[in-house]
Amino acid sequence: MGSGRPRARLQSLRWRLLGTVCIAALLGLVISGVLSYGQAQHEAEELMDGHLTQSARLLLALVHDNDDYLAELAKRLATVSNEQAHPYEQSLEFQIGRADGSLLLRSAHAPDTPLSSEPGYRVIEHDGHPWRMLTLAASTAGHSDYHVQVGQSIALRDRAALEVAGQAVLPIALISPLLLLLLYFSVRRGLKPLDDLAADVASRSPENLGPLASVDAPLEAQPLLAALNRLLGRLRDTLSNERRFTADAAHELRTPLAAVRIQAQVAQLSKDAKDRQHALTQILASSDRATRVLEQLLRLARLDPLAGLPSPEEIDLAALAQQVLADGEEYRERSASTEASEGCAIRLEADASPLSLLLPFSPLLLRGDAELLAIALRNLLDNALRHTPPGSTITVFARRQGNALALGVADDGPGVAPADLPRLVERFYRGRDAHGEGSGLGLAIVQRVAELHNACLQLENLDGGGFTAYLRWPLPPAVKVAVPGALPLM
Amino acid sequence: MRILLVEDDALLGDGIRAGLKLADYAVDWVRDGAAARLALLDHDYQACVLDLGLPKRDGLSVLKELRGRGSQLPVLILTARDTSADKIAGLDSGADDYLTKPFDLPELQARLRALIRRAGGAATPTLTHAGLVLDPASKRVTRDGQAISLSAREYALLLDLLRHKKHIRSRRQIEESLYAWGEETGSNTVEVHIHNLRRKLGADFIRTVRGLGYRLSDDA
Repeated sequence: MGSGRPRARLQSLRWRLLGTVCIAALLGLVISGVLSYGQAQHEAEELMDGHLTQSARLLLALVHDNDDYLAELAKRLATVSNEQAHPYEQSLEFQIGRADGSLLLRSAHAPDTPLSSEPGYRVIEHDGHPWRMLTLAASTAGHSDYHVQVGQSIALRDRAALEVAGQAVLPIALISPLLLLLLYFSVRRGLKPLDDLAADVASRSPENLGPLASVDAPLEAQPLLAALNRLLGRLRDTLSNERRFTADAAHELRTPLAAVRIQAQVAQLSKDAKDRQHALTQILASSDRATRVLEQLLRLARLDPLAGLPSPEEIDLAALAQQVLADGEEYRERSASTEASEGCAIRLEADASPLSLLLPFSPLLLRGDAELLAIALRNLLDNALRHTPPGSTITVFARRQGNALALGVADDGPGVAPADLPRLVERFYRGRDAHGEGSGLGLAIVQRVAELHNACLQLENLDGGGFTAYLRWPLPPAVKVAVPGALPLM
Repeated sequence: MRILLVEDDALLGDGIRAGLKLADYAVDWVRDGAAARLALLDHDYQACVLDLGLPKRDGLSVLKELRGRGSQLPVLILTARDTSADKIAGLDSGADDYLTKPFDLPELQARLRALIRRAGGAATPTLTHAGLVLDPASKRVTRDGQAISLSAREYALLLDLLRHKKHIRSRRQIEESLYAWGEETGSNTVEVHIHNLRRKLGADFIRTVRGLGYRLSDDA
């Protein structure tokens, strides 16, 4: 937990947003602080230089070559510089002399630099401290030339400048934490709709796949919300399909199981030996039926997840059809025996439906899975046997049909109601008029096998009556079927 | 007692028919909704066992039409779906009871007995008349404590007369109640059974109303 938290913060949108915004704000504050500090300091320097100039000019204006006057002036200036009334007022240190360098007057602590130096500002060392000095020369008409030198300790100047600049930066420093707090709450508030959305999703029960409410979600979250809702919709559909499938599968298994139970109880309660025997036979038939449904369910469950054929090999469709037809005879005998015991004479004739096989002379080769194709063909044959009346002819065929290969079954029975045709491959769908004898999965399995073989399942009523169901592989135009070798199935 | 069984599955339908026959019901079995509708229009049944998933016409629509005609026929529905929605839909469409597949034969028989009894307005399970007691659950008939042994047809005939104590039952009505489709009915089989019952219960227990049919004697 302790180690997981910082990482979670880094990935959290809120903390990232908060981090960048705060860093940007702090940077802005620091830069503006530094700039105002520098600016304030510079202004303070200018101001103090201005004062120096003013003092120097005042002294120049006051001085003239009279010893008494100079002595009096020195006394007065000394009292001025001794009374400090204002915190920023600094003691005025000065030297006054003639242009030839002779000194007329100087304050007590003034640096004793030579007066003959060039006019202008200069930094000198005095008493081990840096001083800023200004030298001014005056040569007004009627007066002799005078030089005035005024100076300030740089340490004092800096202290004053620092104080002024500090005053300028202080409000920025005070505002910063307030600003950061404000930013934190704004980001929190701004991201609240996302939190609400997350809470909505988190608090859902797994059954609730209804669309997420989108009324107060922000514009930026709408695409995400729409995508989520689309996903939820697809999930809902898938889930309801699965539920229907499960319910249908339960129904398909329950009916034969109910028959087993009822017939077993009939066998228990019957006093007549013949009735008992009949009930026992029916139990066998019912359990066969349940087994068949289970087998088909398992087959479909195994086929469903396949993305392609596990091990395709070269197959001769003609040989395959022959093989399945042999199994078909076997199946016919089995169903004949159960129908016979039910004592239904007409049904027996149904099992005498002639099964014929239409095969071409040349082999029909393609790559596929022989077992799966046999299962598909057997399912088609089962359907034909189940849905044709007595005396019908059922044809199993593997042939070249126009520009395609076809493997399937045709009968001359009543066909399928046109309304039922498109729904026949649906799992557990039975035609409106059909009785529930098959598993209802046969054509779904055939459809799946067809998909795995890149074939399409064709279900058609025949013009002259009857019905045909077959797998169809379109042929590439150039390939000749008679040429030995596998067909590419792409 | 004649019952209509509507069930599309061959094996299950055959089992239910055999099971109901064991309880001495005459059973007509149809395998789709359209045939069920016709049978219900044509014949007088004491009860109907109706599967819901039917070809041609859904069981519920058959039931709704039956109730739409004002029929009071007791109907028990069979369903393979055990969600309560299906049961609610069935009961709300006019079914009197339901069973979920797979179910018990004795339970089906008992529920049908209860339905038929309630339809006749009787709360007690036994039928009595002039000292005679018939218990449909055990199919035992006693008179003044003495057990009376009856054949299946005689029992069914006596049950029919006891259920319609106040009415005259024509020979046609009795045949309808006793025999399912395709069962042999000789021209005078009802007379034969009446004769046998009179022999066992006393000549004046069943009165003949000339030109109309039969009824039980007035309660002594």
